[in-house]
Amino acid sequence: MKPVIIVDLKSGNLLSLENALNHHSQSLCRVQQPKDYNFTGDEILVMPGQGRFAFIADQIKTLRWRPFLNDWLSSGGHLVGICVGMQILFEGSAEDPEARGLGFFTGRCERLKHPKTPMVGWAKLDSYKLNMKDQYAYFVNSYGVPDCENATAKVTYGDAFCAAVQKNRVYGFQFHPEKSGRFGRELLKHVCQ
Amino acid sequence: MSVNNLKSDLVPRIIPCLDVAAGRVVKGTNFKQLIDMGDPVELALKYEQQGADELVFLDIKASVDNQPSALAMVRDVAMNLSIPFAVGGGIKTMEDVHRFFQAGADKVTLNTMAVSQPDLINQIASQYGSQSIVVAIDVNREAEGELAIYTHGGSQKSALNYHQWIREVVDRGAGEILLTAMHKDGTGSGFDCELLADLGADYPIQVIASGGAKGPEDFYDAIRAGADAVLAAGIFHRDEYTVSDIKNHLVNNNISMRTTT
Repeated sequence: MKPVIIVDLKSGNLLSLENALNHHSQSLCRVQQPKDYNFTGDEILVMPGQGRFAFIADQIKTLRWRPFLNDWLSSGGHLVGICVGMQILFEGSAEDPEARGLGFFTGRCERLKHPKTPMVGWAKLDSYKLNMKDQYAYFVNSYGVPDCENATAKVTYGDAFCAAVQKNRVYGFQFHPEKSGRFGRELLKHVCQ
Repeated sequence: MSVNNLKSDLVPRIIPCLDVAAGRVVKGTNFKQLIDMGDPVELALKYEQQGADELVFLDIKASVDNQPSALAMVRDVAMNLSIPFAVGGGIKTMEDVHRFFQAGADKVTLNTMAVSQPDLINQIASQYGSQSIVVAIDVNREAEGELAIYTHGGSQKSALNYHQWIREVVDRGAGEILLTAMHKDGTGSGFDCELLADLGADYPIQVIASGGAKGPEDFYDAIRAGADAVLAAGIFHRDEYTVSDIKNHLVNNNISMRTTT
């Protein structure tokens, strides 16, 4: 099995994510800078993100991930982005208009149009993918990408937004699979194969 | 624009609350006597399997001496649970907050400290985000009918005005409020639906209703009155109802619930 590498952007607690990934008896480690690991290109990167869009964008730059990730994405590397770790794969966000995303997916994050923010809780996924269809996922966010040609699941909070995206071997989840019960664990296992 | 027309796929959450002391789940019959109810991880997993959407752990005997055991418990729970959980009790400084998040808590809840040191709400919200801070509000309808905010586990009446306080915690960055109607707590006479309805659909953060549940219809009433989540302790701990019993009742009454397959 391919090793799973957590891109550690120092943006919050990684315990539950590590714990969720550890159930898969796959080799797992967290890496803070690309130079700290001898990448072969055959790894699976998991990029969680908590906090503001600009904070994650800054961390990617400061910890020297930006050129590495651009190469990784353009050469068809395997990556799973979670929450702001998914948003950063897009071009930008209304949360911090100055900050630049990685631009792998086309689109921008907008503020959720609902009087109660942040959105906190469980919502049923509208998805054609069998492993997500009608499953409940745990969301914690105030921003989301309204639409994307690569959307694989959507939910509505005010308006519809992308709950999951996928292009080739790059997966993004706006919700938290590591907090989404057994469904989330199985989903992580599936995308880390 | 009517906010009631705004669409949301969020489903109401059912949240069992566990009282803990020195790293064990306890039940207090009165202030002096605590009965050991068991291992926090075991009970947490039991509720997760029943379909709980989230858990809250309240350290009812929180003290500096007890903090190491509380942190060990949080770590243990985080390593085993696959749903979110909040911890409260004994959080006095930003240092405490860091320690609980580092141990794996998803949220912290503040009650007394939110009142005595409200700036802590701002600090937590700016460092960890609004989603990580739940302000617990113990409100009591006094004999004269007015609403008073209590602290220190319901033992001290504060000078706060209820209507101002519920706005202030939002302005300071709280992501949710946990609203306990003390005049209903433990009475088994249902949640205070009037209070919930007064908050209204345009209250800008999530509302967790607590206090007074005796049966599934009380959960139904609270959700219909506007609660985004309902927290309960006794009826789950005494095994009167499982979380799935409550959810089945709600689903049968046309309230969408997260169901696990």
